[in-house]
Amino acid sequence: MQSEKKNPSNQYCCSTLNAVPQNNALLQKSKIPFGLVFAPYKNIGPDEPEVPVVSPEVIVRCKICRAYINPFVTFVDQGTRWKCNICHVVNDLPAFYSWDSKTRQAVDRNTIPELNSSVIEFVATQEYTRGPPQPVVIMFVMDVSFQSIQSGMVATAARTILSTLDSIPNYDNRTKIGFITYDSTLHFYNLNSNLNEPQMLVVSDLEDIFIPAPDDLLVNLSESRSVIESFLNKLGNMHKSTQNVNSALPAALTAANKIIGQIGGKIAIFQSNIPNCGKNALKKREDPSLYNTSKESTLLQPADNWYKEFALDCSRKQICIDTFIFSGQYTDIATLSTLPRFTGGSIYFYPGFDASRAEDANKFSSELSRFLSKKIGLEAVLRIRSTRGVSVKACYGNFFLMASDLVQLPNVNPDNCYALEASIDKDLTSEPYICFQGAILHTSNNGERRIRVFTNIIPVTNNLTEVFANADPRAIAAFTAKKAVERTITDKLEDARNLIINTCIDIMGAYKQAFTSSGQASQLLIIENLALLPVLTQALLKNIAFRRGNIPSDIRSFALSVLYGSPIENALSYIYSKLYAIHILDANTGLPIPNTSQVYMPPRINLSMQRMTQDGIYLLDNSQHIIIWLSRGSNPELVNALFQKPYEAIASGKTTLPTPNNDYATRINNIIEFIRKDRLISYNNSPYVYIVKEDDNTRGWFISHMVEDKLDSELSYPQFLSHLREQVILYKLRDFPSIHHKYSNNYQRRY
Amino acid sequence: MGGEALLFLFAAILSALLLFIMVYFIIMFSDLECDYINPIDLCSKLNQFVLPNYIAHTVLTVLFLLTGKWLSFLFNLPLVIYNVKRYMDNKHMYDATEIFRTLSYDKKESFIKLIFFFISFFLCKLIFY
Ligand SMILES: [Zn+2]
Repeated sequence: MQSEKKNPSNQYCCSTLNAVPQNNALLQKSKIPFGLVFAPYKNIGPDEPEVPVVSPEVIVRCKICRAYINPFVTFVDQGTRWKCNICHVVNDLPAFYSWDSKTRQAVDRNTIPELNSSVIEFVATQEYTRGPPQPVVIMFVMDVSFQSIQSGMVATAARTILSTLDSIPNYDNRTKIGFITYDSTLHFYNLNSNLNEPQMLVVSDLEDIFIPAPDDLLVNLSESRSVIESFLNKLGNMHKSTQNVNSALPAALTAANKIIGQIGGKIAIFQSNIPNCGKNALKKREDPSLYNTSKESTLLQPADNWYKEFALDCSRKQICIDTFIFSGQYTDIATLSTLPRFTGGSIYFYPGFDASRAEDANKFSSELSRFLSKKIGLEAVLRIRSTRGVSVKACYGNFFLMASDLVQLPNVNPDNCYALEASIDKDLTSEPYICFQGAILHTSNNGERRIRVFTNIIPVTNNLTEVFANADPRAIAAFTAKKAVERTITDKLEDARNLIINTCIDIMGAYKQAFTSSGQASQLLIIENLALLPVLTQALLKNIAFRRGNIPSDIRSFALSVLYGSPIENALSYIYSKLYAIHILDANTGLPIPNTSQVYMPPRINLSMQRMTQDGIYLLDNSQHIIIWLSRGSNPELVNALFQKPYEAIASGKTTLPTPNNDYATRINNIIEFIRKDRLISYNNSPYVYIVKEDDNTRGWFISHMVEDKLDSELSYPQFLSHLREQVILYKLRDFPSIHHKYSNNYQRRY
Repeated sequence: MGGEALLFLFAAILSALLLFIMVYFIIMFSDLECDYINPIDLCSKLNQFVLPNYIAHTVLTVLFLLTGKWLSFLFNLPLVIYNVKRYMDNKHMYDATEIFRTLSYDKKESFIKLIFFFISFFLCKLIFY
């Protein structure tokens, strides 16, 4: 009966283990990390079903552990009571699940959404609400120093906000917005609806910030609409002649926090410069001599604790911080990224932004516009429950952990994904399966308090082969990536690299030790379903977040944020890019799939230059960018069809492809458009198209995605495999911790 | 002789005080585990005791050194070194965003310190009488 009830789809939730060992000893024997990667509030694509929203008379919960009724509970006593699958207590079942008093008929439980759908949203009853629900509140905090004006960032932002005003969620006309701009002084804007024109109020004392006209700085979007429009029309030109290169971000943040602290909401930062002025200013601490040393990780850790403390204060006041960064120079993303990290926000990075390039302006504009119009959950808490005997050991994600299983999220950002690490504390012999349940109590955009609940069950096994055979290498990679990011920030980059490689070696060694006789040691053995594990491990080690080499710390810090926050699909293509050959297309490649919003994609190819031909055109999607690789020998007809010019005339770099009226270009443009649309919905990212020509100096960047090839000091995939093979043979010795350590050092030297 | 007795009396009182602080730490940690206190409040409450605790213990150890109480000095020295190391690594303060990751270590550390101050208190009392 229960087999037809399905777990949430992989994008909502996936476990590293799809068969859970019966006890901790068996888990330790398998060496597989027990983690759950989940995104309960993920964006829903056009072809996906919406999450059912239900408002039963009573929200049925277990009387002991407070778990929500779900599709996997069992009914006992002729179906009049239900047994909780978290704590096993038997609870009474309200009559409305058995008898419909309106139609005077027995209820068919197969039609009740909360008993059938493993992701569900309950409309909360009175008892879940405390005071009036929070309205949507957005405080724009915008750097207007010389760089911001010069790059056209302020003008583009103003134009985009103006054109998006109608799409900002504004249920019941309750939405409030406000603006603060800053250079070495703070500028507040009185947007009172009685004014004809906005008033600018300048505050230059950054020590003890005085908020002028506190009631008119955050205004009702509908009431003050005309003043807001007039302000946004002017903002682009307002600071046009500025020569000020200072940027007092901390002071502006303090002011924004004072203004919206009472109600909570969102602070959106637009920063073009390192915050170099006032209290808690940051210094240019980038130091290339620290690259590749054990001190490199200090560059990846926040420089000033104030930013973290400020973020925690915001989290407490239900304020989420999102950060848009535009600088071409060092901006200390390591420090600035702590603001979104602890408040449920996101970070957007536009290195070297220049709005006079159409590609830059379009990318920023479409991401900002989606950022403002997308659905978000407000003032949320996420509680995770798990079957007795399984407990949550650690949580990873952009939030603040209030208790070991309670997460505070000022905003539930659908672009974010979280992970938890579980441990088995007790023998699970009597359990046929274990269960994880996550519940997010939040305020939906229509002002309703709602509870989004997802329930995921995993069968229990006492058989080690089954544990291995049901392990998911993709979930292991995504989970290990998040854990390694955490490790980089709290410890050292090298510790993170060791964590990644040792996770793989341990699993393979454990498998080999458990299942092979010593005679056949030469062949690298890993169970078929884990075949992807070595390649994903290697790709992770070569990701810009973790690989060796002279990588500017802003770039590394941003990559760490991407791996830490992005949904599983995006994280995986960020780790192992998607590469397609687009010079030979099948009959329907690039054509729309009927009745869907998708197109037929070309087959993926492995990330190795050896898989590519001399005359090929390739498209690479690394989740952040779309790169088109043009070989020197590319078919001139195809090149001409796509670019409307010959190979020699094509410039490398960001490009907007022409849309000529020919079959080939239409199909390629369909593919690109599909990737872009999909990315914008799933992750609020609108990737650029970059052209990389084979004989151009940007080729190194493309080649750095070819993780199966040798890159600088990093091994090629065959070399990596033989290294793993050696390590796995030696694995038996590694039961002794000291020897384990020695081999990992040995590995460091060689690798 | 009176001066020495006074020193050990002082040491006993200080040890008792530090002992109570550690008891307080351990109670607070278990409150955190039971969800009675949130991490931010916990850390701000505990952090105000961290440096006074270090300083008191270091002063005591230096006093033993200056008065030539070598055994007592050597007994306290490892903890001073440990504290200095924590301070140099900037790991002496409790961080609300990391407290759940470091909790088991923090608990163990406080417990060992508790036992240490307990022994220290009784040794001082013994010598005092
Ligand atoms: Zn229960």
